[in-house]
Amino acid sequence: MPADPAETSLDPAPEYPPELSRLPPGRHGLPREFVVHNQRERLIAGLAEAVAENGYASTTIAHITRHAAVSRRTFYEHFDSKDACFVAAYDTVMDELRERVGGAFEAEKDWPRAIKAGIGAMLAFLAAEPNLARLCMVEALVAGPVVVERYDAAIQSLVPYFEEGRKGRSREVLARLSPTTEEALVGGMVSLISRRIFAGRTAELESLLPDLAEFALTPYLGSTEAAKIAREK
Amino acid sequence: MFVNQKDSPMRPPPGRQQLSREFISRFQRERIVSALAEETMVKGYQAVTVADIVRRAGIARNTFYENFSSKEACFLAAQDYAAEEAFRRVVEAAAEIESWQGRVDAGLTAFLAAVAEEPELARICFVEAHSAGAAAKQRYEESLQTFFPLFKVGRKVSPHGEKLPETLEESVVGGVYWIIYNRIVEGKTEELESLRGELVEFSLTPYIGAKAAKKVASGTKK
Repeated sequence: MPADPAETSLDPAPEYPPELSRLPPGRHGLPREFVVHNQRERLIAGLAEAVAENGYASTTIAHITRHAAVSRRTFYEHFDSKDACFVAAYDTVMDELRERVGGAFEAEKDWPRAIKAGIGAMLAFLAAEPNLARLCMVEALVAGPVVVERYDAAIQSLVPYFEEGRKGRSREVLARLSPTTEEALVGGMVSLISRRIFAGRTAELESLLPDLAEFALTPYLGSTEAAKIAREK
Repeated sequence: MFVNQKDSPMRPPPGRQQLSREFISRFQRERIVSALAEETMVKGYQAVTVADIVRRAGIARNTFYENFSSKEACFLAAQDYAAEEAFRRVVEAAAEIESWQGRVDAGLTAFLAAVAEEPELARICFVEAHSAGAAAKQRYEESLQTFFPLFKVGRKVSPHGEKLPETLEESVVGGVYWIIYNRIVEGKTEELESLRGELVEFSLTPYIGAKAAKKVASGTKK
């Protein structure tokens, strides 16, 4: 097995952490805070790459530091363990995803189109970032109970977007919506998306938008209206 | 508690040696699979060792390895056993029923009952399968897929069957699995059977509309 460059080449000059070698040579004059922040982001990106390559279970800290091009020592300045690094990565990705989904949802006035926009934003983000998609939708379930709990909570946090669809519906429609409708809809969508990512078909995700929008809207609008909005544009 | 093999119920009682080898082996396998499922429930699959399984099953380590090459092989056998059993019960429950809607209702009822009766095995199939390696994940995928054709029949019943989204069955089965997953994680599998009506409605609504789905779920069907 070839020696890990992140492990071997870095020890001799601890006063020159390797990450600085990627910054312009000489007195880079960057404030320490910037460097630290930059290191942390690189470690997170490095973890996402390493996990995409090896799967979470087989990923080692050496894999992560190699992808991030930082030393092992730097890794431990930021994180206690691989698990801790994963949690940080997961939270970063989910914050971003939440912001995009929330932003897209808020930008549309009427609820059915807001739902469609929210789903669209989620699919676009995941399709554009296949490593992060795998990290937060597939590997999260492998990464231990702390992450699994966050994963479950993140999916559950989508429920209120759907519950808004109950507002202003006729009593007849409301009587037909059962308490678990939103939970099942969200779970169904996430299942389909995760399975595509697991199968390495992340690039296809955006083409699922009409199907997912129709599926999500049908209980509220009926299938004719749901299909119409889902297939718009 | 450690059970000496001499006292183990695995050992056929003296004078009853006519039990077939095949019977003993099947019995042993089921016992080992149950032990794995119980240990997994207690500490999570990753932390379970062959020693834990052997101790709980009250068998010799050799007996374990006569039946399974590894902990993983035992896990996969547990998945297979549970999936086959659940599917068998679904098919049996639905067999006599003429309408597709009625079959979905009966099949889901049987499926939820199977999950509720075997919470340890259910945990293996719905929760632990995600983190137990590629082969386990593949079996999870296959178990989802066995249900797609059963739902697809609904397209012939649906007034707009040819226009339904291509991925509908995947979303419907995924939604049902998610509801089950959540109840297992929350330790509330006993709630599942009371969710039958809601899940029937959820599954049928895209095909026949919410009104007709509700009617089936509330029992006004043949």
